[in-house]
Amino acid sequence: MPKKQPKRNIMHTKWFKTLSAGLWLDNPIFCMVLGICSALAITNKVANALAMGAGVTFCLIFSSLFISLLRNLIPPRVRILTYMVVIATFVICVDNFLKAFFPPLSEALGPYVGLIITNCIIMGRCEAYAVKNTVFYSVLDALGCGLGYSLVLIFMAIVRESMAFGTILEFRIMPGWWQDWVMMAVAPGAFFLLGVYLWILRTLAKKTEQ
Amino acid sequence: MKKALKIIIFVICLGASSSGLLVALNNYTSPLIAKNEELKLKSSVLEALNIEYESVKVEQVFDNNVKVVSKDGLIFYRYQDKAIAFQFSGAGLWGPIKGIVSIDSSLNKISNIKILKQEETPGLGGRITEESFLNQFKGKSFRPSLIFVKGPAAKDNEIDSITGATGTSKALEDLLNKTISEYVAVLER
Repeated sequence: MPKKQPKRNIMHTKWFKTLSAGLWLDNPIFCMVLGICSALAITNKVANALAMGAGVTFCLIFSSLFISLLRNLIPPRVRILTYMVVIATFVICVDNFLKAFFPPLSEALGPYVGLIITNCIIMGRCEAYAVKNTVFYSVLDALGCGLGYSLVLIFMAIVRESMAFGTILEFRIMPGWWQDWVMMAVAPGAFFLLGVYLWILRTLAKKTEQ
Repeated sequence: MKKALKIIIFVICLGASSSGLLVALNNYTSPLIAKNEELKLKSSVLEALNIEYESVKVEQVFDNNVKVVSKDGLIFYRYQDKAIAFQFSGAGLWGPIKGIVSIDSSLNKISNIKILKQEETPGLGGRITEESFLNQFKGKSFRPSLIFVKGPAAKDNEIDSITGATGTSKALEDLLNKTISEYVAVLER
């Protein structure tokens, strides 16, 4: 006897769809192909990828929250300027906060924190979602996209760090005879890897140009 | 006209509120940041001079052991008669490199090097902060000058540079040689 179907399957609720879109079907990196600069630049170590993912997710959530709150006040002609000001304000706050209270973490992140301002995923989500939707769904969407971005970054970093340095999170995993691939530590190696990832993930997600 | 005015007012309000927030935050955090930087400098000087310390007692240990000497406008950190440390700073490949170098009292050999700040390529030039790279400076002679070489360092004044970070290595080599010769010249007078 078939199980009684619950009235609304969790898969079909709006909040689940909003959250999961960023993680899988509308993943910012392999579907939207946004935020590629940072994905190429900082995925050579897993620790860097984790820090960048956390920073971007944080700024994404708060920028989306504020843009969504202000969405009825923002004059359409200056909306891009508004995003930039809000995003920059948050990123500088994060940077200052880390410098004052967590100096070791701030040092490890170095110039990456400032570079979050230029991450186009944040601006993209503000323009495509937060400015038209309610606060709750905007934050969910930001969370989904931030996590989706972080996940792809971490997967790239695991491959790159193990091939380029023979380690993961500074922990040696490769056997002694392993010759480090310097190519994977620099951006060109990341291009090849990102290409392969796009190919695999897009095939799995059945995302092809119509 | 009314629309344009509304936009101008909105932008001014937005700019004023965000700059107000940032000014307030900056006022609140800048003494903390300055304090952190001072602690970082002091602990690096202690490390460069091979003085052991606990992270909570940096200032106390620093005041007890290190004598800050100013000569010809240059600042030296002296640890009894054992070693002398001073700061070096200059352009790296992408951004400034700042650090502390200590030399032995016979003014011939490097005893230790610490990097305080750098913005080099992560994973390549950024590896100048790694212990394995910095440790090889210990006991190296800076006369006539330090030379960064590719492949294993053979001579007394050679350093094995980082593969894939030629720009950073060159910048650090020039920076160290210039700073050390300048400071040692003052010390010798």
